[in-house]
Amino acid sequence: MAEFKVGVLSCSGEECLGGTISRLATRKVLEELKLVETVTLCLPLYLAGGKEERNFAKVFPTISVDGCDKLCAKRSTEKYSGKISGFIDVSKIIGNENALNTKIVRNRDLKDQHHEMVDKVTSEIVKMIGSISPDSWSGKSFRGCSCGSE
Amino acid sequence: MDRKVKVVPCSGIGKVYGLMAREAVLEAVFDLCPEKSETVCLGYIVTGDKEVKERIEGFDCITVDGCPKMCAAKNVSMAGGIVIEEIKVLETVKEHKGKKFGSPTQLDADGEAVTSEIAAKIARKINEIN
Repeated sequence: MAEFKVGVLSCSGEECLGGTISRLATRKVLEELKLVETVTLCLPLYLAGGKEERNFAKVFPTISVDGCDKLCAKRSTEKYSGKISGFIDVSKIIGNENALNTKIVRNRDLKDQHHEMVDKVTSEIVKMIGSISPDSWSGKSFRGCSCGSE
Repeated sequence: MDRKVKVVPCSGIGKVYGLMAREAVLEAVFDLCPEKSETVCLGYIVTGDKEVKERIEGFDCITVDGCPKMCAAKNVSMAGGIVIEEIKVLETVKEHKGKKFGSPTQLDADGEAVTSEIAAKIARKINEIN
């Protein structure tokens, strides 16, 4: 029997700290969460890719992780791929002022306090993954994309 | 009217090259050409919202992609941006065979150095345009 997998899809926004936190927290879940296997996809592949990529949320129960309240990952997933199982708005966790910080965006500029924000968001993603029923997984296959997201 | 060149990376999350694209663009727009360039969230462009289309449509854009799917170039073009230059991270990476660049989460020293090289390429192009 195929293993249960959850999709985690980050906005990775480049204009503000919230996007960086969303990306790093998603990476942390992918690298460190052992109880449930997680997979991801680059958000712009909904348009730049093909049918396979647009099937992502149909194949995996998917959680979107957005850096600000524009909720680009959530809305794009719902528009192009399918219903999501949950969403994280990073600005609600780290505060709007932090999320919309346009001065500190690069990895190299992050300080301990920003890494703590990543940890907080990671915990919220893990909590949300824990609330997803394995029955919501279609069990269909997904070949992933050429960038190696899966 | 703000005519800054829009510089958009793919920020791909699956391989180190996506991170290199992202960090190179941020170095170019923050450090090298802050008066002449800015970035726009690619995720926002994907939504197709009117507000983001207005920021892109008819503007000179440089895209930076980490894999052959060319997500940044395709999405910016679909949004009406004038893609003046499509920078491919892999072209620069090929010149540094054998080096380790880091992971999609964190760049190593070589990754940082090659990223700065890509940032310089972006800056040269921005200065040519603007």
